[in-house]
Amino acid sequence: MQLFGQILVNGILLGGLYGLMGLGMGLVWGVLKIVNLAHGALIMLGGYALYYLYTKAGIDPFVGLPLAMLGMFVLGYLLQILLLNLIVRSAQLNTLLLTFGLDVVFVYMAQLLFTADFRTINPPYAGKNVSLAGVTVPYAQLGAFGVAVLLAALLYLLLDRTRTGRAIRATAQNLVAARLYGVNPKRIYAVTFGTGAALAGAAGGLYGIVSQITPYIGVTLTAKSFVIAILGGLDNPLGVIVGGLILGVAEAMTALYLDPTYTDIISFGLLVLVLVARPAQLVGRA
Amino acid sequence: MSRYRWLALPIAAAALAVVPWVTSDTIVQYGINALLVAVLAQAWNIIGGFSGYPSFGNSVFYGLGTYGTAIAMAQLHWSFGSGLVFGAVLGVACALLFGLPILRLRGPYFAIATLGLAAVMSAIIATVEIAGKNIGLILPLFRGDTLFYELSLILLVAATGTVAWIARSRFGAGLVAIREDEDAAQVMGINTTMYKVAALTVAALFSALAGGIHAYWITFIDPASAFDPSLNVRMVIMTLFGGPGTVMGPVLGAFVLSAVSEVLASQATGVASLFYGFVIVVAVVLMPKGLLDLVDGFRERRWRYFADNVRRFRI
Repeated sequence: MQLFGQILVNGILLGGLYGLMGLGMGLVWGVLKIVNLAHGALIMLGGYALYYLYTKAGIDPFVGLPLAMLGMFVLGYLLQILLLNLIVRSAQLNTLLLTFGLDVVFVYMAQLLFTADFRTINPPYAGKNVSLAGVTVPYAQLGAFGVAVLLAALLYLLLDRTRTGRAIRATAQNLVAARLYGVNPKRIYAVTFGTGAALAGAAGGLYGIVSQITPYIGVTLTAKSFVIAILGGLDNPLGVIVGGLILGVAEAMTALYLDPTYTDIISFGLLVLVLVARPAQLVGRA
Repeated sequence: MSRYRWLALPIAAAALAVVPWVTSDTIVQYGINALLVAVLAQAWNIIGGFSGYPSFGNSVFYGLGTYGTAIAMAQLHWSFGSGLVFGAVLGVACALLFGLPILRLRGPYFAIATLGLAAVMSAIIATVEIAGKNIGLILPLFRGDTLFYELSLILLVAATGTVAWIARSRFGAGLVAIREDEDAAQVMGINTTMYKVAALTVAALFSALAGGIHAYWITFIDPASAFDPSLNVRMVIMTLFGGPGTVMGPVLGAFVLSAVSEVLASQATGVASLFYGFVIVVAVVLMPKGLLDLVDGFRERRWRYFADNVRRFRI
């Protein structure tokens, strides 16, 4: 029972991070109607940004996180303004292929620049933990979980309360009508993609703290982000966090009760199952 | 021009067929790779180019063909021919089994589901005892590059011939209708489910056969190489680069890009993949209909062709 509790907590802590990954994916998808296959690569880049902020500049990872997010926002903003805005009205196959191409570019750039070595962001408190009722909770994991939930809440407030957020939601619902009300879609698209990239960057940084980063982590994380975005629904940031929790717990339980090699089979099996079983109209909303 | 087009294919095939007798071993080995990847691109063209379903899981069929042939030859000691058939049966069975549920999905849902299928299949194979688990399988050694070259060429001609038939047939017209507007196609009385599954099955057949030939040629396979996701990238890019939904586009794209990447790969590893990424990005923006369309469009409109493409889809 204690083991079960421990695994449950592990799954929930990991799930918060998964939720954060799904948030950026779901936001871009819902507003721009682009399924960003480079999302995992953006997560990877965020991980490296935080890694180098910590190892080269000596900035504490949790302090450096906003910096990494800012850098990723700028990257995302520029990508959308200079490139993605050119094809955003193209057929879905083309937007998929373009982001797929970007993914390849980012992965092999990273391989050339950062080498394929495993990297971990290892602050001094990485090994410390707190025990609650026999369940061990590492501080770093707890911090990552807290940041993920905080960012989800901030995104919710951004979309719900601010003028920009209203413009984003209006664009997602009806581009033509939003334009008539004075929304500049080029800028809103860029802000949205930049926000998605910043969220991916944050997820990557936190992933680097609790796990390892290589240039190749992106593909599976893209697919998982997609599953989570679907599980949670595209219109609700807090729902996406719940989607992440479901996947995190499912994976942790699989590793315990079946075999760690089956975790990917389970999460992708879950993906195919969700896709096939869940009616399309449930995920069509934004 | 169009009167002689039909002559071009047999002449090109005949010219390619004599290559092993007049050139070096290196070129033949490069040729086998280029021909097999052209088969994969042509197979992808059927489901991705004609039907418009962006499959990122065609490497599953290739991998199953690879493993089917390897298991038959290394574990069951069958002949190469029966191994190929066994691999093809596995690939086709997989397409029929997963085609029905997965082809109900559209656009990105389909793409990601196929991506997931590829990951699951590779993970499953890595746990199967008869497939050698993570370690892989070693096939009987057979040195005959000329045979493998000619087999690959025959397979490519067969695949291209099939696509040429599809392009002119009622079946192909149905697939294009599905690509352009699936709901409308359904209303017009096309059995869209059957058409899509048939397209995927034909694609699976050729992909699996290519995998089988490659397995016996390379003699060693493991899950990572048989289900290599970058193979999917390559077949998609080559088709896109050449011209999706055309007969010769994928072959042209495969040959051109194979040659370029061969040159780049001899310079530095990783650079070739980086180049692929750039090609796909530039191609989607500047020439979304591929090399063949570029040739026609450029002849008519010169540089305005690129500007028109960019202008059409930007916001």
